[in-house]
Amino acid sequence: MAPRIQRHGLAVTLAALAVLVASVVAATPAAARAAETGRRGGVLLAVIGADPPSLDPHQESTFANIQLVAPLYSTLLQIDPYGYPKIVGDAASEWKIAPDGITYTFKIRHGIRFHDGSPLTAADVKATYDKIVSPPAGVLSIRKNAYTEVASIEAPDPSTVVFRLTFPSASLLNNLASPWNVIYPKTYLDKDPNYFKTNVMGSGPFKFKAYTRGATFEGVRNPDYFVKDRPYLDGYKFFISPETSVRAAAIRSGRAYIEFRDLPNAEVEAIKKQLGDKIVVQTTPMTGQFGIAINNAAKPFNDVRVRKAVTLGLDRYTAGKVLYGITGLKLVGGLMRPGSEWAMPEAELQKLPGFWTDAEKSRTEAKRLLAEAGYPNGLKVVLKNRNVKLPYQDFAVFAIQEWRRIGIEAENRPLETAAWFNDGQNTGNFELIIAPTVEFMDDPDQFLGRYVTGSTQNWGRYSDPRLDDLFSRQARTLEPAERQKLVNELQKVVLENAYYMPGLWWMRNVVHWAKVKNYVAQPSHYTNQKLQDVWLSED
Amino acid sequence: MRTYVAKRLLLIIPTLLGVASLVFVIMRVIPGDVTLLILGGDQAGRIDPAQIAAMKRRLGIDQPLLVQFGTWLWGVLRFDFGTSLWSGRPVVEELLIRLPLSLELAFAATLVSVLIAIPCGMLSAVRQDTWVDYVIRVISIGGLAIPSFWVGILCILFLVIYFGWGPPLEYTPPWVDPWANFQQMVWPVVTVGYRYAAVTTRMTRSTVLEVLREDYIRTAWAKGLRERAIVVRHALKNAMLPVITLIGTEFAFLIGGLVVTETVFTLNGVGRFVVDAVARRDYPVVQALVFLIAFGFVIVNLLVDLTYAWFDPRIRYR
Repeated sequence: MAPRIQRHGLAVTLAALAVLVASVVAATPAAARAAETGRRGGVLLAVIGADPPSLDPHQESTFANIQLVAPLYSTLLQIDPYGYPKIVGDAASEWKIAPDGITYTFKIRHGIRFHDGSPLTAADVKATYDKIVSPPAGVLSIRKNAYTEVASIEAPDPSTVVFRLTFPSASLLNNLASPWNVIYPKTYLDKDPNYFKTNVMGSGPFKFKAYTRGATFEGVRNPDYFVKDRPYLDGYKFFISPETSVRAAAIRSGRAYIEFRDLPNAEVEAIKKQLGDKIVVQTTPMTGQFGIAINNAAKPFNDVRVRKAVTLGLDRYTAGKVLYGITGLKLVGGLMRPGSEWAMPEAELQKLPGFWTDAEKSRTEAKRLLAEAGYPNGLKVVLKNRNVKLPYQDFAVFAIQEWRRIGIEAENRPLETAAWFNDGQNTGNFELIIAPTVEFMDDPDQFLGRYVTGSTQNWGRYSDPRLDDLFSRQARTLEPAERQKLVNELQKVVLENAYYMPGLWWMRNVVHWAKVKNYVAQPSHYTNQKLQDVWLSED
Repeated sequence: MRTYVAKRLLLIIPTLLGVASLVFVIMRVIPGDVTLLILGGDQAGRIDPAQIAAMKRRLGIDQPLLVQFGTWLWGVLRFDFGTSLWSGRPVVEELLIRLPLSLELAFAATLVSVLIAIPCGMLSAVRQDTWVDYVIRVISIGGLAIPSFWVGILCILFLVIYFGWGPPLEYTPPWVDPWANFQQMVWPVVTVGYRYAAVTTRMTRSTVLEVLREDYIRTAWAKGLRERAIVVRHALKNAMLPVITLIGTEFAFLIGGLVVTETVFTLNGVGRFVVDAVARRDYPVVQALVFLIAFGFVIVNLLVDLTYAWFDPRIRYR
């Protein structure tokens, strides 16, 4: 289907946007906003649950990569560490969007140097984004599909980068603030585009010090960092430990000061009880949702009535109350995070199957639909799952006991990650499968691309031209209210047809010692990891 | 003796070949794909099928299975165990990061176990059905019944809750900082050593009891020899054969089999490495590690068999 450009109010919006953005001088993220004066020195000790496959964020999408290496690099833009989801500059000092909406011009800050002493220029930004948008043969770029609108990237002079698009994009700035798009020096990329899989050469607040796989990762202060008097820390060190209770114990014993991803509530309570005000817990909603992919291509779920029945059979409101304490899953929402600017209004959501507030009414309707579909006595299904306790197993257990009330007997079948992935994505060998969604920010392009025909994230294997059209249109609609309508419409189509079954949205607990200052937990565990303004009030 | 050793060494070849083939087949039969895991990231991220194909090509896992197996075997013959699909680093390099820790843990746990188990097992046998025997039996049965990792978790929680102290999270070799090494290793050594000692104590007790009922021991008593001479010189030495076998097998197991204990104590050891590699479908790593661990088992068993002659001069190797 040919993409249609949303033209409603485009000229007015673009003109306003251009004037507004042209005046933006993206100051260094608001370190000055910190209430206390920072203290120099100390090494931040952190625990993390895994090793990354490689050190190249362009080729990875795991927190285990980005949390380790983000402090070593600069990005063109970034999400304001103190003002999510505002976009501020990092290597870019300012930018302009031309009135036609297809030319973005970025000014590169002067004085940024890579850790080998060479200056960071527009040529490095161009080389970096060329690698991401159109990687050379033999080089992976797992986010290149997020930049299909980019026609060319130019570096007319050392301090100017120009992105030319094929159509106006509502998400380009967000995508350019992706924490994964770290800037590499062109000279290294020219020699070996895969150099950064095993090596580091960045321009971030910290320099790479050492990495022992399975054990530790260390960075040391970059004295030549372009932001004056930053970073505060002498360095940072991650201890790699896959076991949650061990990471929690490391915090309790003071062997580590922070766990950036998430700790379960039970561990958080135990830590708070033992350490009292020595500990700070930042609890934020997370850009992650736990739901269930329904195989639309296989019986019995190729029948919309059966799909609707399973989603009606899950009382999400009770689930949020029951599961929050043990799993962190709490918020009821559609396909965009509740509370975010793109969330579907509650009143609208509550009209959709599975989101009615009257659980009994939902169950009655579910039973009726099952009977109508030829299953008056219910049916037996297999719910495939990942063999990870939190929150996979607990969420599945809750869903299964809920479905029992409408006559669906579901067997929870835990699989190790590789098999889970294989069945969910590769082969489609499942009826129902737990399929979470986690992105770095609340952006419709990031969250809704999976509902499009043929997307590799479309585990349910459905194809609805309305979804393809709505996704394409919202991606090109710059006027937020208009885009919101399309986003809501897309959500409605998915939820009314029960193509996918959202469960609950996650809450994130970042636990750290009170002496760790100036770290603000954002809704994503991928963002705000540069640590440039973080300091320790004592060693 | 030489012929025996030569025969045993030659037997290693088919054994290892069998192990290698078995692991190769098993790893290919189980579902899952390293490329999906690498590209998918945390939560089923966007994956371009063309990129999956490109990555498979780059990793060499798009080749026919026989070609893959042949290439791997040819590498092994040249002491090249391949490159990790997950990290892109040579398997041997990855292994060498972890081996010192696993060897230290295995040696220390074995030492602790032997030092505790042999005297306790002997004492328990000699003082059969007295309170000493009961106490040793209760403690050793506890060691058999309680999983090591659970003891480990209790140890850590006890230290953290009551003393606000936890073991260091990073391995420091003993030659770099013995005190830091001690602080980290003492707890896993104690927890692993406890289970190991329990097994060995039970075995020592049983075998010593059996030997104490032999005619020649009765003769020794009749001759009026002292108890110490009878037990240490006559009974213990003859009771040691099964115990030595057990110690050898356990030692080999400890190098690669302490997955959960390593996880609990944040030890970057070989056991965790193997299990992570299986979960990631990192074929070269699994094949190499199982191959090397099997080799270790075979060698340890050979050494154990060779020590038999020292304990029992009647044994002849043919």
